[in-house]
Amino acid sequence: MESTTPVLLLIVALPLAGSLITAANRNRWKEGTLARVASTAVALSFAATLVALGLQGGAGGVLRFPLVTWGPAGGFELSLGLLGDSISLWWALVVTGVGFLIHVYSSGYMHGDPGFGRYYAKLNYFVFAMSLLVLSDNYVGLLIGWANVGLASFMLIGFWNQRAEAAAAAMKAFVMNVIGEIGLILGTLLLIVHAGSAEFDTVFAAVRSAEPALVTSVGLLFLVAAVAKSAQLPLHTWLPDAMQGPTPVSALIHAATMVTAGVYLVVRSAPIYLASETAALTVAYVGGLSALFGAVVALRQPDIKKVLAFSTMSQVGYMMMAAGAGAYTAAMFHFMTHAFFKAALFLAAGIVIHYLGGEQDIRRMGSLRERLPVVYWLALFSVLALAGAPPLAGFFSKEEILHGVKDAGLTGLWILGVAVAGLTAWYMFRLFSLVFLGAAQPAGKGRREGADENVESRMEMVIPVGVLTALSVVGGWISIPGLTALPEKYLLPALQRVADVPVHRAVWSTDALLVTAVAAAGAVFALSLYGAKGSWRRQEVAARGEPGGPLYNGFYLDALYRTAVVRPTVAVSSWVGRRMDPEGVDGIVHGIAGAVKLLGRALASWHAGLVRSYVFTIVLGVVGVLAYILLAVQ
Amino acid sequence: MSLSVQGYLLLSAVISAIGLLGLLVRRNPLIMLMSVELMWGGGALAFIAFARHVGNMDGHAFAFFAMIVAAAEVAIGLALVVALFRGREAVDIDDIQLLKG
Repeated sequence: MESTTPVLLLIVALPLAGSLITAANRNRWKEGTLARVASTAVALSFAATLVALGLQGGAGGVLRFPLVTWGPAGGFELSLGLLGDSISLWWALVVTGVGFLIHVYSSGYMHGDPGFGRYYAKLNYFVFAMSLLVLSDNYVGLLIGWANVGLASFMLIGFWNQRAEAAAAAMKAFVMNVIGEIGLILGTLLLIVHAGSAEFDTVFAAVRSAEPALVTSVGLLFLVAAVAKSAQLPLHTWLPDAMQGPTPVSALIHAATMVTAGVYLVVRSAPIYLASETAALTVAYVGGLSALFGAVVALRQPDIKKVLAFSTMSQVGYMMMAAGAGAYTAAMFHFMTHAFFKAALFLAAGIVIHYLGGEQDIRRMGSLRERLPVVYWLALFSVLALAGAPPLAGFFSKEEILHGVKDAGLTGLWILGVAVAGLTAWYMFRLFSLVFLGAAQPAGKGRREGADENVESRMEMVIPVGVLTALSVVGGWISIPGLTALPEKYLLPALQRVADVPVHRAVWSTDALLVTAVAAAGAVFALSLYGAKGSWRRQEVAARGEPGGPLYNGFYLDALYRTAVVRPTVAVSSWVGRRMDPEGVDGIVHGIAGAVKLLGRALASWHAGLVRSYVFTIVLGVVGVLAYILLAVQ
Repeated sequence: MSLSVQGYLLLSAVISAIGLLGLLVRRNPLIMLMSVELMWGGGALAFIAFARHVGNMDGHAFAFFAMIVAAAEVAIGLALVVALFRGREAVDIDDIQLLKG
């Protein structure tokens, strides 16, 4: 069932229009107008997504909208269009829906910032790029969206561009994303060469008859792209640094939507990964290791946003693991629930940071339960959802992932996944205890200037957190095994349209008890150590400065990259700038110029103005020409 | 056909060579101009000789053009020589080095 509808174009075009309008009027309009225009654009985009959902006509339905045709160039023609199948719309729904809530929240969070209009223009631009990414019907359009979300991410990480750390973090994110883009470009080119098209359906039909080596290369190249974008091992180091951006940006781009683009790429390319077991297993193991790595490193981070950043890496690792194991619906289900509770947590963190006037060190917080009671309850439920407490959203989606992984026969990864569930509860309750429980920490910078006492009365900030928390509570109920199983019913037909996807049904199993028990153990462990009178709490709070150690430093991967890649590159570049360029390249240019000058000076004496010498030269020339003719003609 | 074409060509070569020699060895601009005229004449003679030999009128036309251009050239050349003489009182071409780059 296919139909053409311009509604798809509206989903993409409305945020772009909003971005252009806010950008054009950023210095003219008041904050309220800017926020309202930008938020309305995203709200309409969300509404358009709902309309598209209605037009789709069931899970197997496909909406299309042709955009432009490039070429033909040398017999190759590229048609770019929009595709609205279940997978695309699922993603678009979260992007525009969560995006709208974060637009609303931002009007409070960014209040008074001199770059208010610039901020909204960029945020709208991100929603445009992300919806283009997920709605494209071919790999080239996906790549265009992919590169644009990278640019939006770069601009928003470096939003406070007077801060050197923010600028450096933005550059780091951009460079690492370009590494991934190279993988995506090469993979796409391979597919175009093989299939003669970049359009998904054509490519997937051609993959069936392709050589296994080709399919595996494409799968691994796409994995490079996914790893860079989704902050998986070993290209994850940009994500913690990206926390330099405004907190709502961290919530929207670096937790809920953009970092899951890698998962989208893998899910969208399901036929490729089904055709290459090597590539699929690599995806699963990279995801599993990233899940473990993120969870372990999050255990000792002192910065509230960095804990959440490493948690994001870990949770996206879960999704990758599921996608690699073939449990695509579980990956997409977890993407949605994760978007809810992680966005809620980031936004709650934003409220806490505002309340404390910019303090982000959780060792300097404490006792916020009394001071921010509403946020306390909202955060508690989001933390529980993330930790996987039944019957909240995270419980169902994590359960489905672990079940899918076990079903695929990857027992090692399953054990790892269960362990990560325990670690997740541990680091989240450490964070929760340090922030909300125990005694206030007046020491250090405790409360800074510019602290907003009445932050909880700012409804535009509290309500989005409330909505997201509510979704984190009830969002999992769409996939109660045997009862609703909505992701399965809605998403599987779209996958089965292009490939023989194995069905991983969500079922109740005794494993759920085990996972929940492990998570509960992690939570209890963290609460006893970091609770009001916990011994580790006292230790951490007493510490000054950076904690150090392998966990705090992310197992020194950042330092390794700095030594092995950044420093040599900078050294070579600066050598080229200092020596090679002025002495080598300029040397050649100046050398040629000097030689010509010398030759000219030597020949100038010939040109002395003496008529007889001119005559003699002419005669010589005539004799030369005659001699040539006589000799050459013979 | 009384004389052979070789004779005319020989004469033409001799005249041209005399002109060339004069151009190279003399320093008086007036004499140099005359030498150039001799070379013109030698060239024109060769044209006519060939034209008669081949029985084609094109050579005649070339000779006429050569004479016309030579007349024009000599008019300008003489005017230049007179102007130079008036301005500089010089009759030696080596004293006039106006073409220095």
